[in-house]
Amino acid sequence: MKIAADRVLGIALIGLAAFIAVQAVQLEIPFSYEPVGPKAFPVGLSILLTILSLVMIFRPGPNGQWPHKALALKLLLVLVLLLAYAVLFTQLGFIVSSLLVVTALARLFDATWGKALITGIIMSVIGYFLFTTALGISLPSGYWFDTFI
Amino acid sequence: MFDFLIDGFGVALTPLNLGLAFLGALLGTLFGALPGIGPINGIAILMPLAYTLGLPAESSLILLAAVYTGAEYGGRMSSILLNVPGDAGAVMTTLDGYPLAQKGLAGPALGLSAVSSFVGATIAIIGLTLFAPLLAKVAVMFGPAEFFALMIFAFSSMSVMMGKDPIKTAIGAVLGVLIGTVGIDSGSGVLRYTFGMPELYDGIDFVVMIIGLFAISEILLMLENSHSTDNDGELPPLGRVFVSLKEVLACKGAIIRSGLIGFIIGVLPGTGASVAGAVSYTTEKRLSDKDNTFGTGDMRGLAAPESANNAAAVGSFVPMLTLGIPGSGTTAVLLGALMLYNITPGPMMFTERPEVAGGLIASLYIGNIVLLMLNLPLAGVFAKVLTIPRWVLVPAIAILAFVGVYQLHSDLFAIYLMLVIGVFGYLLRKLGFSLAPVILGYVLGGLMEQNLRRALSISGGDVGILWQSGISLGLWVAAVLLLVLPWLVPKLLAARKPSAG
Repeated sequence: MKIAADRVLGIALIGLAAFIAVQAVQLEIPFSYEPVGPKAFPVGLSILLTILSLVMIFRPGPNGQWPHKALALKLLLVLVLLLAYAVLFTQLGFIVSSLLVVTALARLFDATWGKALITGIIMSVIGYFLFTTALGISLPSGYWFDTFI
Repeated sequence: MFDFLIDGFGVALTPLNLGLAFLGALLGTLFGALPGIGPINGIAILMPLAYTLGLPAESSLILLAAVYTGAEYGGRMSSILLNVPGDAGAVMTTLDGYPLAQKGLAGPALGLSAVSSFVGATIAIIGLTLFAPLLAKVAVMFGPAEFFALMIFAFSSMSVMMGKDPIKTAIGAVLGVLIGTVGIDSGSGVLRYTFGMPELYDGIDFVVMIIGLFAISEILLMLENSHSTDNDGELPPLGRVFVSLKEVLACKGAIIRSGLIGFIIGVLPGTGASVAGAVSYTTEKRLSDKDNTFGTGDMRGLAAPESANNAAAVGSFVPMLTLGIPGSGTTAVLLGALMLYNITPGPMMFTERPEVAGGLIASLYIGNIVLLMLNLPLAGVFAKVLTIPRWVLVPAIAILAFVGVYQLHSDLFAIYLMLVIGVFGYLLRKLGFSLAPVILGYVLGGLMEQNLRRALSISGGDVGILWQSGISLGLWVAAVLLLVLPWLVPKLLAARKPSAG
């Protein structure tokens, strides 16, 4: 059997199904008024998932196009940026964190430094006032700024 | 019988709701036109905003429904001008739309698609008005067993109709249902799959789920497409801006037939605009393609799928409003939006919350007219949206996603969860899954389990109750037939052929 993405996925899904079923069976139910209870549904689903995965393992689809190295690196960078955005969102506040992340994201999507920086400034500043004043949404101003203001 | 509609117009014609229908139509057209955003992303991004603005349920739904129908209008832009379908519903539009644009008829093509969309949607809205209250009357008689059978039917029709790969559609739906089981089980109070994290006790939040699944995965996917579809701001010339009455009348048969087909397909749970577009196009090709002009820029080949996909978008409101079963991925998201307001769509909505059901239907009439008025003269302006570079689009999506999730939860766990779900969605899409079954499974799974358990509680554990009534038995039979027929019919035909020859 040649290795296809679908086969790897199928095996992973069977693993997931087993995990789900084991977790469900181990649930401790203090008391129950109903004949079914919370276990049956996940167990049934995991059986269904296993059957479907087996079908996919024996009849995998075309392999699809996976990102080459340079793209995979970019993908990882975007993810790291989004993660950094999450971490910095409350720390630095909306304006500063958005400025940094938007500029970097725009740069990753092939904008020049100048364009990226302008996008970052416009989106973070106008966005902040649009969200807070016009829409009444409270956004973090940042611990870092709180000490100044 | 049409009291709800009169009341509905009363709701929809208030200045606020009229304004929201207009705003939604405008935003929807833009979202539909923007590469990679489409109806689900548009609604996912706007839903938390509408909710925190404190809009009442019916206003919020009117806004989101206008975005949905507007996006179906906007999706044709990139199909016709760039040969890139804006979303799955617009795939068939490329077949004759792009050749028309290449002939220098982009302007009339856009105009014709707006008119066909309008007629298709109007047919479906009338269908919805007539059909929904009737179905709601039948649905009142549904007990838990009937609802369970109905969901089985919805999942089986989805597996058959949606996407190229039925197995992957089914796996996607199962994964969605499993994600829905996380959290406190309402029947027993037991914690399931929370792994000791209190943030998960209430389950995986709906907004986090759809923004992660659609918006974040879209950002990751756009990275990949950024080289292949960027067109350096060059669009084909629009030519003359208006479509002539003669051209529209030449397509009237195609438009009306496709509107009816689209509505019926839209009503079937689990099948949406993409299926309707495909079925109407092939039907029209068979019926009226006498000179083999379909695919080379035949106006009827453009009018048919455009009429059908708008009709299907409206048709999918029928099962959502009357049964609480969404007819498409986008209506699944709308259903979730209603649940944010603690409204469970279903047969009782027409009697208990007539302002929501009636207001929505009335606003569809209004929104549709607004859309036609916006789209005929402004096609050229909307087309400019296609030239917005990705380096503007992607950061904007990221900001809206983060703000949307943050304002609902104000904690970082939700944002991390959104990112994890985003990566999950990206992997699924790379593996050839479509996301609509996942979201449908996630939305329907909880209801499915509740109804199953309620039914079996009533019967004291006897599974016979699940197919005891005529309605549920009929639904089971229909579900099985749907699964078996596509596999069986070609074999029967193949068996008949040699004997006939």
